[in-house]
Amino acid sequence: MSDNDLVVQMKGITKVYPNGIAANQGVDFNVKRGEIHALMGENGAGKSTLMKMLFGLEQPTEGEIIINGEKVSLSSPTIAISKGIGMVHQHFMLVPSLTVAENMVLGMEPKQGNKLFINYKKAVEITEEYSKKYNLYVDPHAKVRDIPVGMKQKVEILKALVRGARILILDEPTAVLTTQETEELFKELIHLKEQGYTLIFISHKLNEIKQITDRLTILRGGKFMGVHETAEISKEEISHLMVGRDVVLSVEKEQAQPTDVVLRVRDLEYTNEWNKKMLDKISFDVRKGEILGIAGVEGNGQRELVEMLFNLNVPDNGSAKVNGKNVLGRPQREIRDMGVSLIPEDRMTFGIAGAGTIEENLMSDRAANKKYNNGPLFNLKAMHEDSDQLIKDYNVLCKSRKQQVGMLSGGNIQKVVVAREFSSDPILIIADQPTRGIDVSAIEFIHKKLVQLSREGAAVLLVSADLNEVMELSDSLIIMNNGRIAAYFEDTSVLNDTIMGEYMLGLKQQSDEEIRGVLHGE
Amino acid sequence: MENKRQNMFEIFRGFIAIAIAILVAFILIVICADDPGKALECLLIRPIISNGALNVKSIFTILARMTPIIFTGLAVCVMFSANQFNLGGEGAVMLGGFIAALIAIYLPMATGVHALVAILAGTIVGGLVMIVPAVIKVKLKASEMVCSLMMNYVIMFTILHFLNNVFPDRSKGATQTYPFLETALIPKMVPNTELAWGFVAAIIATILVAFFMYRTRWGYSIRMIGINESFSKYSGMKVGGIIILSQVIGGMLAGMGGAIEMLGRYNTFLWKDLPGYGWTGITVAILAKNNPVMIPLAALFISYLNRGCELMSIYAGVPAEMIDIIQAVIFLFFAAEHFLSGTRQKIVVKDAKEEMQKKELATAGEGGNA
Repeated sequence: MSDNDLVVQMKGITKVYPNGIAANQGVDFNVKRGEIHALMGENGAGKSTLMKMLFGLEQPTEGEIIINGEKVSLSSPTIAISKGIGMVHQHFMLVPSLTVAENMVLGMEPKQGNKLFINYKKAVEITEEYSKKYNLYVDPHAKVRDIPVGMKQKVEILKALVRGARILILDEPTAVLTTQETEELFKELIHLKEQGYTLIFISHKLNEIKQITDRLTILRGGKFMGVHETAEISKEEISHLMVGRDVVLSVEKEQAQPTDVVLRVRDLEYTNEWNKKMLDKISFDVRKGEILGIAGVEGNGQRELVEMLFNLNVPDNGSAKVNGKNVLGRPQREIRDMGVSLIPEDRMTFGIAGAGTIEENLMSDRAANKKYNNGPLFNLKAMHEDSDQLIKDYNVLCKSRKQQVGMLSGGNIQKVVVAREFSSDPILIIADQPTRGIDVSAIEFIHKKLVQLSREGAAVLLVSADLNEVMELSDSLIIMNNGRIAAYFEDTSVLNDTIMGEYMLGLKQQSDEEIRGVLHGE
Repeated sequence: MENKRQNMFEIFRGFIAIAIAILVAFILIVICADDPGKALECLLIRPIISNGALNVKSIFTILARMTPIIFTGLAVCVMFSANQFNLGGEGAVMLGGFIAALIAIYLPMATGVHALVAILAGTIVGGLVMIVPAVIKVKLKASEMVCSLMMNYVIMFTILHFLNNVFPDRSKGATQTYPFLETALIPKMVPNTELAWGFVAAIIATILVAFFMYRTRWGYSIRMIGINESFSKYSGMKVGGIIILSQVIGGMLAGMGGAIEMLGRYNTFLWKDLPGYGWTGITVAILAKNNPVMIPLAALFISYLNRGCELMSIYAGVPAEMIDIIQAVIFLFFAAEHFLSGTRQKIVVKDAKEEMQKKELATAGEGGNA
């Protein structure tokens, strides 16, 4: 393979963010002309960072970028676009109140003869021309806020093409699409490829990658894990390279002895602001001493469910009670005082105050407790002692309790969150993606703690998109699909990936009778 | 402490900002002064040393002028720590001063008690007005910045109305109130200087605010909300209440500053415009990086520059507006996050690389066992 075939060469790219996190460490990334190239990795593996550098949104700390054989310095997206690079962001960069045609020409508007006003007719013509040429149907006159997600994505792709992009970066394009829309998108992408465009496809969905890409590059923890011909590598190998563990981490746990119902959820319903029904009559019980897992492809209502239980959002209908007391719409203080703990999915937004110290983060839910106050002043001695103890018990690697939490690694940040949430004597622990994007030793640690707490009598609701995790940890399991409970399994030992997959993807649906098994009493 | 290198750099960055500001000032001085050498001497040296001897009187003046801006600096520090960009300090200062003045004129009391009551009243009223932007922010999500900024003028013109139409001393040529009763005046610390006991109050306030911010649950909540509001809410803090509290405390500090300034330096109320301490307080708080303990130092710096510029305008014919230019330049360089960010990034990269190397060594060691 000569270098001439390569449209994009990124050599030895290192990126250190101002907060000290090294998101990429000596990454090599090469893309051949006219291929669909997948960039794979777990959340936090450094995929987005690498692509941001290719699109000029971030600058590499070290390394060089070569486009079409020419060494370039991509200091802004404008320059990247001029080199023929286009990016379709996961979160669309469109102006909702403008029409499709207006969005298409934003920043490069065709002018009327007098140079003052936009030639809207011309904008529509351009839109229609490109729409036809690339087989991407859009309605030029529709306002962007009124069109469906799939069409918005097409507008984004067309926008990049109108600006002369020959290399298209697609950042998790299927994350927001339905199955049919995804199929349609793939046809369009292959059509683009046939016309000589180069596509970089960021994803962590193995099936999609296998379906449409030619080659793939894998990143793990900011490091380059190799480049492969898609046809020559199995899904198992890919997943091994991405995750870095082929042994399913097994957790030893005794048989659960569930007793009273702690969390009782009935008929929760929620329709989001885009009019999508995210929760459709969700009912279940979690009992003292058991771990109830919720599995499902992300975006099927799990996040919304957790938000409702901790009043980060309010449902349209239904009830949720902890030991008989309503939690919906109640202040977080009150929910916590009932004995509910939450490991939030988005740890940087909800889990920690990054610029605060480890101690300040460990104390956030209990700083007002009598134990830590002498009259108006803090009892610093008690705080220091307990913080040091928690740091020790939860094995947080740090220099001292005074270290800034945002400077720790993902795994250690999560340990700080977990230390706080597990140490408040919770009767109900809601763990939402508790081990996402963290290192194996931290994962093992958190798994052990979760099991231990449940066996000591806490009720645990575990929400995870990681199949190994939910299957290993849960005593019983719910699978969510499209805002509904697709299946309930009293015993998780009968499960495997195939069975789970069928329910997760909506190929199968248990009867109401079977699902009702998750309701204990009443 | 962790990341010594990065902390050292922050201090270094502060000094560079100040040095550049003074350099810019120097260029302007050279352009507009008849005798730049003398002007510089006035700016930098004469505030403390004049004619080879310690300029004692001037030093006391510098200290005296620190008093109100320590208060407003603390006020801004508390509010900005909660991420509340409330600019109402200006109005709260004027109102605190006005209320204290009214009590000093119309409510006779015993010496000592009188001043305390007047200051207390100014403090409370300063806190009360800040409830307006704070509650509007929490309940209606309207920007506290816009609201408090507008409120300053509402307060100013309301006071002017009362000053002109209700409480004026018609026997005087200028618009002013009747003189304060002797009992309400804050005594001077050093006779025949501007320095009153209010300065000590400002230092005590600094210590109290520092304790409040770092040793109490309310101060802690204020800081955590400032860092990450979602996190604070999720942790169970009463975010709305704390946001209101931070602004009320800010208003109280500003009001107290206004009252103390009024009773310590004047004997009748004659402010016809916003006094400017609120704005200066923002500069002071930014210089101090919202750290209450650093507020008096920052105030000293500003006060010193102020005095230097005043002397420059008296003895070297340089316009007094120079201080505003210098302040603006310092403000710019301090507030500009990216100033010297390249150097900072290099330090961060170096630290991160050392970490990575350490980690690799550690894992290599473990690998040996596996």
